[in-house]
Amino acid sequence: MHKLVFLAAAGLFLAGCATPSQNASPGAIENNDPYENTNRAIFEFNLKVDSLALKPTAESYSTYVPEGVRDALRNLEENLDRPVVLANDLLQGEGRRAGQSAGRFLLNSTFGLAGLFDVASRVGIASHDEDFGQTLAVWGVGEGPYLVLPLLGPSNPRDAAGSAVDVALDPTVYISIKHHTFWIIGRQYMRIVDARARNLELLADIERDSLDFYATTRSLYRQHRASEIRNGKPPPEQQNGATNLP
Amino acid sequence: MTIHPNRSFSAFALPLVLVAALVLTLGLAARPALAASPAEQFVADNVQRAMGILNNTQLAKEQRKTEFRDFLLGLTDIRAIGQYTLGQYRRGASPDELAAFDATFKEYAMAVYQSYFAKYTGQTLQVTGSYALGGEETIVKTVVVDPKKPSPKPLEVNFRVQNNGGKFVVVDFSVEGVWIRELERNDFTSYLGQNGGDLKALVAVLKRKTAQYR
Repeated sequence: MHKLVFLAAAGLFLAGCATPSQNASPGAIENNDPYENTNRAIFEFNLKVDSLALKPTAESYSTYVPEGVRDALRNLEENLDRPVVLANDLLQGEGRRAGQSAGRFLLNSTFGLAGLFDVASRVGIASHDEDFGQTLAVWGVGEGPYLVLPLLGPSNPRDAAGSAVDVALDPTVYISIKHHTFWIIGRQYMRIVDARARNLELLADIERDSLDFYATTRSLYRQHRASEIRNGKPPPEQQNGATNLP
Repeated sequence: MTIHPNRSFSAFALPLVLVAALVLTLGLAARPALAASPAEQFVADNVQRAMGILNNTQLAKEQRKTEFRDFLLGLTDIRAIGQYTLGQYRRGASPDELAAFDATFKEYAMAVYQSYFAKYTGQTLQVTGSYALGGEETIVKTVVVDPKKPSPKPLEVNFRVQNNGGKFVVVDFSVEGVWIRELERNDFTSYLGQNGGDLKALVAVLKRKTAQYR
């Protein structure tokens, strides 16, 4: 629940202090980024945190923890995530994908020894992600303005609210064990470090190739989210015909 | 109390069998049989050739680079991609500025795209389907398959292919839903926005970026 409280606080903070920039760039409307100045400042802050804390941790993790252990931990995390994905599959009316999530969870929780081994992939059941931000999008909720959240990175009001609901949808949050909060925070931390470790080279390349890393990251996030929401289906504007050069 | 070995086995095996049966019913949907369209065939053939060049260890590194560059140039409409990335700034530019940009963008794009494709050395791209857009364009969908380490979530790479009177060219490609042409347009127009739309400044910075690859 801590993440939920944090997200709500972050949302209030942003709503309170971020007013549309007076000298916003001409692309502000096209890029859906009315708070660009504030977003850029938070982006710079996040980059500093990344270079001082997250990146070095991710580098050590990828250097010192053997690949097999990293794979097993990732499988475990992916398996623990399936109930939330399944709930969102169902909320979106995606029966076939819900079947895949349920199948993966059942198979990997049993034959995969509580999720340490990914048996489901070996029999051809691929994994996919789904979250409540995507569910809201499928239900017709607009993304709202592009936001960069402190420590959490690129987002928008819809996706931030979605993350909070995903925490509430996660059954593991309700298991009462000793040091419960410690486990929840530890799991989130591992997830972030692992994701950073897997993208060390990719993010370094993108930063190297781009002229404006902020604008490139914004485009990456918005395009990737739009594609995730469509689950790989063609975008509506492409279904009606080609989009030609301007 | 003693546990009968057979009973303990069946108590363990039955739920597993049930789980397996349920999983097979739920998760494994029949895969549609695909007859490759000409656009799909074009992508499949050329991916094969691209991988062939990248995996050809008999060529010296420089030779491999040149060969791959020529191959990519013959395959893509690099000028159209470049012009697209300028967005609204294309209209105000002089023909000389545009010509300088075209030449610089070509070198930049070749260096960057080559570095992207080199990451897939040793892996294969499998065509999974396609859908038609208007105007003789098709999106061909592929996934990256690593024969050494299958991934539960294979990377999706798509190609936007244009049929120019029987000759196919690639006009855009995407990785995990992110289209390169759009990404570069966002990057370049943001840079131009901060530099008063100065195309010369853009050309200079692209040359610097390209030099990093040499």
